[in-house]
Amino acid sequence: MLSRRRTATALCLAAALVLSGCAVGGGAAADGTVTLHMVESLTNPTRTAVLKDLIGEFEKQNPKIKVDLISPPTDQADQKIQQMLQSGSGIDTLEVRDITSGPWSTNHWLYDMSKDLKGWAGWDELTDNTVKYAKDAKGRTYYIPYGFYGLSLFYRSDLVTGAGFKNPPASWDDLLEQATAIQNPGKRQYGYAFRGGTNANSNAVAVIEAYVADKIDRDNGFKLTDGRTIFSAPEALTALKTYFALFKKASPPSSVAWGYPEMVEGFSNGSTAFLLQDPEVIATLGESKAISQQQWTTAPLLTGPSGKAVQPVATAGWGIAAGSKHKAEATKLVKFLAEGDAATTFDKKNSLVPILKSAADDTYYKTGAWASYVKMTENPDAYITVTQPRDSSWWTEWIQKSDADIQKVLLGKMTPEQLLTGWDSYWTAKWKSQ
Amino acid sequence: MKEPVAFPSARPEGEPGGTPTPTTCSTDAAVGARPDVGPDAGTGLRAGAGGRGSTAASTSAPTAPRPRRPVFTGRQGLTVAAFMAPAALFVAVFIYYPMIAGSQMAFRNWNLNDLTDTSWVGLKNFREIFTDPVFGTVLSNTGIWVVGSIVPQFVIGFAIALWLRRRFRFRGLYQALIFFPWAISGFLIGILFRWMFNSEFGVVNDLLEKAGLINEPIPWLADPKTAMVAVLIANIWYGVTFFAIMILAALQSIPDEIYEAAEIDGAGKVRTLFQITIPSIRGTLSLTVLLRVIWIFNFPDLIFAMTGGGPSNETHIVTTWMITVTQQGDYGRASAIGLIVVAMLLVFSVFHLTATREKSATGGRPTTGGKRATGRNPRTRKTKGTVS
Repeated sequence: MLSRRRTATALCLAAALVLSGCAVGGGAAADGTVTLHMVESLTNPTRTAVLKDLIGEFEKQNPKIKVDLISPPTDQADQKIQQMLQSGSGIDTLEVRDITSGPWSTNHWLYDMSKDLKGWAGWDELTDNTVKYAKDAKGRTYYIPYGFYGLSLFYRSDLVTGAGFKNPPASWDDLLEQATAIQNPGKRQYGYAFRGGTNANSNAVAVIEAYVADKIDRDNGFKLTDGRTIFSAPEALTALKTYFALFKKASPPSSVAWGYPEMVEGFSNGSTAFLLQDPEVIATLGESKAISQQQWTTAPLLTGPSGKAVQPVATAGWGIAAGSKHKAEATKLVKFLAEGDAATTFDKKNSLVPILKSAADDTYYKTGAWASYVKMTENPDAYITVTQPRDSSWWTEWIQKSDADIQKVLLGKMTPEQLLTGWDSYWTAKWKSQ
Repeated sequence: MKEPVAFPSARPEGEPGGTPTPTTCSTDAAVGARPDVGPDAGTGLRAGAGGRGSTAASTSAPTAPRPRRPVFTGRQGLTVAAFMAPAALFVAVFIYYPMIAGSQMAFRNWNLNDLTDTSWVGLKNFREIFTDPVFGTVLSNTGIWVVGSIVPQFVIGFAIALWLRRRFRFRGLYQALIFFPWAISGFLIGILFRWMFNSEFGVVNDLLEKAGLINEPIPWLADPKTAMVAVLIANIWYGVTFFAIMILAALQSIPDEIYEAAEIDGAGKVRTLFQITIPSIRGTLSLTVLLRVIWIFNFPDLIFAMTGGGPSNETHIVTTWMITVTQQGDYGRASAIGLIVVAMLLVFSVFHLTATREKSATGGRPTTGGKRATGRNPRTRKTKGTVS
């Protein structure tokens, strides 16, 4: 008898658990408190902590709103978010990246905030670039960027001086010269932290764009003003030859397989003298035990023969799910994160190029490793910001294809000419099919 | 006269009923083990009985448990169905439904980047896969990956299991240490090995250099050939454990008396291994190999973490390739690859099960040899039995 009763209790408990589990994502609680479910994508522990602090601040200001932050591991985050969006519920605020906004808005998963943001005072505080990225080609707002990723050259000032150079490299040719001079494989000293592994395409494209900077279409970094692809230009071949020479003469041989972690580790443990990376590395390098703060700093992105460089901007921001039942509250949260202290704190603590105009007067951005970013912002004609076609639906396919092609060239299985012809016809065909 | 004392105690254990689980495999194992027990027992009166007993067991084994087939009444059937219903429902809802729902994507244009058009496209996804130039590399890599992992895993795992079967100080500790890798996530192991095999900062090159085996660092993950070797080494390290666990468990089910009998009979270590150990655990071995082939086939974690399928797609296996296609958002094509994987594994499993079943049928033959030799001098008989 007892065991039967016990079984019944267990069953009831299980049922209760299951039912309460199913109830997550329901409407407002009895006292009018609304719980927002927020999912981030480019998760890392430090960032999550910063975000939680900001959310705490938001909850203090809005006692009737609770925010439940979900932080899936970065590698699977976008797929998880996709699944949640597809199911149509359980998600209110989410991190939208420039590469996911296109497909997600096509599938009607994202909410267009433009009406809710009409007359929002925050618009005037945002930099021009931020406003540009906050609106798509048709003027719809699917996300407001929280910051920007942009390339700059991290270099070892001690090694550059030691090799007899007065200034850090300004152009790709300078880099080839200096990195070759520093390279000394016998002593495990290498010039450049070459990116041959995951996302190898990004740096290769940055070189090509610098070489065609004079005739690039600023709304589509893969297009020339005459409508053809940048890969069809003769300068593209010169660019790639310099770039691959950098691999042969001045990089660790195993960098064929180097992705983000190896590049940063290579620079941070002192093996390589140059690294082309996003500003978030500034924070990582601050913790390095092998090299001190005095041994390294940053220089602006490398230029092509015309003295110009193209900044391949990448960004992400906060948006709202189309299936959300609490859009008004969610909009409040998105606004909160894009304004004032919250925006500044988030960008500073995550080493992102800031979204607020006020950052230009902030001393924090005028010193040390950040100075090169200010220099780039102050010379928009030499350091051109160009929108990359990262919202194309075939972007992931392109990344995988182009990464494999670059490795083929590095392994001697393909020539740079074949690579460029392939890339040219790939993009031409994709644009035609649109 | 030790022998007569030793054997009566050995015999009951050697009977089919003495084996731990009454599955086909263990019955085979018991039959396989018999020639060593039966003939040895042949000193004196029991010799004939032993031989006959084994024959009887081998011939009556298939028929013995069957004649009393339980008769189901409608009510019993309902009770059984009621007990099974929750499990069946659970499996149906959480496994079969998603599986079928997922498979239909393989025949549709199902791209996450644009779900506005999900029309049926027939075999288009499959055609695209078969005509993809990467597909050939992927297939041969999968073969290398499975065979290159499973053979060393099996051999090393077997050796470790044999070694751990002996009793020595801190055996429990050693067992725990050896089984430990199995508890770590494959992806994490991949990341660890990615750093270990790093050409410039990795511990592998460092050790090789300090040992004076190489002068120049080997670009492990940067060269397609060494990259495959590196991921195989990682996988062997990871999977040895499972074989060791399974084989050790099976080994512990072999009664010690059989070994004592063999030892007294003068069987060497090699002969004991091939005549007693392996036949006794053949069922477990075959099943473990089958399981591991399926798992290794479906184990993209390591490769994904170590090389991501690179350099230039040279280390992709079917399942890592499927992940990259999924990442492109092309669930239609990814689902088609999934179905191809299922088909390949199904064909393999049927083939493997059929093949190993035939083998165990021949494995029973030594019994006949033993029977033929009944009545002769046990020592000479035993040698003959081995030869045949």
